[in-house]
Amino acid sequence: MNWPHSKSPLGGAFEEPEHDGMHRLGPMQRISIPRRRFRDEDVVDYVIVGVGSAGGVLLQRLARAGFDVVGFEAGPFWDTERDWVSDEAGSHNLYWNDLRIIGGKDPLALGSNNSGKGVGGGSVHWAAFTPRFHPSDFEVYTRDGVGADWPIDYEDIEPYYELLEQEMPVAGPAWYPWGKPHGHPYAPHPMGAVGDALITGCTRLGIGVSAGGPVAILSASRGDRPHCIYRGFCIQACKVGAKASTLITHVPDALKHGAEIRDTSMVSRIEIGKDGRATGVHYFDAEGREHFQRARCVIVSGYAIETPRLLLNSACPGHERGLANSSGTLGKYLMAQAGNVILGRFEELIRMYKAPPAHALTEEFYETDPTRDFARGFAIQTVGPLPIAFAKQMMAAKGQWGWGLRRSMMDYNHWAAFGLLGEILPWADNTVELATGANEKDRFGLPVARVSFNLHENDKRLIEFGKNKTMDVMRAAGAVEVVQEQRFAHLVGAARMGKSPHDSVCDKFGRTWDVDNLFVMDGSVMPTQGSANPGLTIQSLAARTADYLISNHSAIQSGAKRSLEEPGIRKTLSPPGTFRSGIPHLR
Amino acid sequence: MSENKSPLTDPRTGEALPQRVQPGYYPKWRVMREYRYWDAATRDVVTQRLEAPKPLRFFTAEEAGVMEAVLDRILPQDDRLPAQRIPLLPVLDTRLATNKLEGYRYEDMPPDQEAYRLAVRALDAMAQEIYGAPFISLTVTSQELLLKSLSEGHPAGAKELWSTLNVKRFWTLLVSDACAAYYAHPWAWDEIGFGGPAYPRGYMRLEAGRPEPWEFNEERYGWTAPADSISDYADPESGHTASAHGQAGTH
Repeated sequence: MNWPHSKSPLGGAFEEPEHDGMHRLGPMQRISIPRRRFRDEDVVDYVIVGVGSAGGVLLQRLARAGFDVVGFEAGPFWDTERDWVSDEAGSHNLYWNDLRIIGGKDPLALGSNNSGKGVGGGSVHWAAFTPRFHPSDFEVYTRDGVGADWPIDYEDIEPYYELLEQEMPVAGPAWYPWGKPHGHPYAPHPMGAVGDALITGCTRLGIGVSAGGPVAILSASRGDRPHCIYRGFCIQACKVGAKASTLITHVPDALKHGAEIRDTSMVSRIEIGKDGRATGVHYFDAEGREHFQRARCVIVSGYAIETPRLLLNSACPGHERGLANSSGTLGKYLMAQAGNVILGRFEELIRMYKAPPAHALTEEFYETDPTRDFARGFAIQTVGPLPIAFAKQMMAAKGQWGWGLRRSMMDYNHWAAFGLLGEILPWADNTVELATGANEKDRFGLPVARVSFNLHENDKRLIEFGKNKTMDVMRAAGAVEVVQEQRFAHLVGAARMGKSPHDSVCDKFGRTWDVDNLFVMDGSVMPTQGSANPGLTIQSLAARTADYLISNHSAIQSGAKRSLEEPGIRKTLSPPGTFRSGIPHLR
Repeated sequence: MSENKSPLTDPRTGEALPQRVQPGYYPKWRVMREYRYWDAATRDVVTQRLEAPKPLRFFTAEEAGVMEAVLDRILPQDDRLPAQRIPLLPVLDTRLATNKLEGYRYEDMPPDQEAYRLAVRALDAMAQEIYGAPFISLTVTSQELLLKSLSEGHPAGAKELWSTLNVKRFWTLLVSDACAAYYAHPWAWDEIGFGGPAYPRGYMRLEAGRPEPWEFNEERYGWTAPADSISDYADPESGHTASAHGQAGTH
């Protein structure tokens, strides 16, 4: 069979794109990176530390509103054609692979499991499931006496969910029944065999199930982003440009509006002036030289490990326990979700490497059920481990090695995998601290993070029930052998928002209680996590905080007393052509 | 064993099976035939794996001998023709020499490099202690019994040496590294019927495990592991181990 040869990556075989000075974001989107560069001595309006899910949205909003804003990113500014590959082992550089120490009774694997490095952050390698949190998530303590309440309600974030679902955009069913029912702007995706298995298993057991989303992957092309080609390498970064990452959804618009991204630049310390306000950030450039960028306001968006680490490493007179830590809660209440992988072998072929890992789920067990012996709940989702990940799962789930492992692997195409996504509650002993060992420093000499994680009774009961339920669904789907591996997914908390400066790091907009012009805005602000993937909520919170910063800009810059009113939604800040495109409003 | 016979047998006849260019149930599938349909960056990364391995930089010659024997037991390749065996040690050696980390280290584990050096010493010490011979000169069964004791977290010997790290975690690290080398190789993708890189072409037939026009349906055959091996088993109870070292994200 002969395919037409063409220079376009979409025409089949093609050669390396010419180095034309343009930067590629997907096969069609080419941008030239502006030469604008603020000088260290310029006092910029905003410095954002970490251009990931939250940082990318904040950068775009603040630039569009006309502010001087610099996004610092420890990793590279990807050129997706040259830097990314359709290959499991070759994608190792997408992750935060620098040393971190893990401990506690149930240590959390980091790196490729949950930590991005590079512009786009974790949204580069997320599977892109984008369920909303449920109204109950914002008042877990009030309802169940566990965890914590959020300082905001579902209604405060709902309009931002709608905005971001259009900006990414999200594909999914026209009627999504769980939480507060809603629709999606893009059509649901076709099912791969793993999604089919989940639908079959759930249906036979009378469990409601959602097919084809919600997932932030294009089911039809939009602008210069092609639709999904179902190649299955979502979590190795989407070369197609179909999966949303802030690198391709928000960063281009940010650059167009004068934002600067300073990549391969590692922020090491936030400086506090004599008046107690942040004056800027110290950072190391790619060559390891140290600089200081002045700023009127600093926003930390480094995710749940690097955000607390930076604040702890910024300890200074008056903030001996770390910046923004008068409450003692910085680095505490770290959360990951139970992410057990349930693997089922079928007599017939599955080929789970096809289609996005994320394409069907059920939230039937999301809410607290008084008939169960634990609070809160879980979701069951499709996953699609590629060969290396699957081999390791066979090792963990079946204790295999040698000929047994070779035998299981020869049956790779007969296996399907589901992921449990279970809510683990926030606990004070799940922490991010600074490591103290002499060798536990990064290449800049900064102490690395030490992450401690322990499951509690409610978590263990929930995992046991959720694991068994997921295995039941796999059996009902027709699997002849079902095994499982216990693991974790996602990473939030450790700089939580709250109503009081005594038990939280920041207020409901992410402003730290201790420093007027220092904000935290990323997954680390979450008081609880539900059993929804956090990406959509992280980006929605960031869009809300951007509106707040814009509305209260002069008060934030001057330290004057600020309003704590909801800012009112600015609908003019979306990237062009995204707002109000095709969302069926369910009123 | 003669040149072209593998130690595997046909379960119906008991006859030895021939060594294969390509074991597994997809004898016609060659992922490298598709390379023209991959993007340039991916092509470079994958074809590099087919080049002759680079000389070792981390392991000494003596350590390499032990590690080679260990990896031959973790992922045995006696069913492959010698020229078609996938190099594992060079991949591990490069990772350790270039300090390519997984992004975390357990508090009860030394750095990966120290863990491997210690394990090589401890394996030889175990072999001497129990069998009075170096690890590389043991029979397959003896080597596997020692390794099995590690997989269970209760080393059969050299307890003093092993006490300085968490043995189960080391086992996970070792098997993970072996898997990462073997299943990154295009020949392994041929063996398991994995479609491989799929950009910019993508997949069209998502349903019911159906093959693309360029893929193949499987042709299964039965095989029995060698009589002197104890590794063809599954222990579903071991699913209670903590998260695997180096696990890639799934959701």
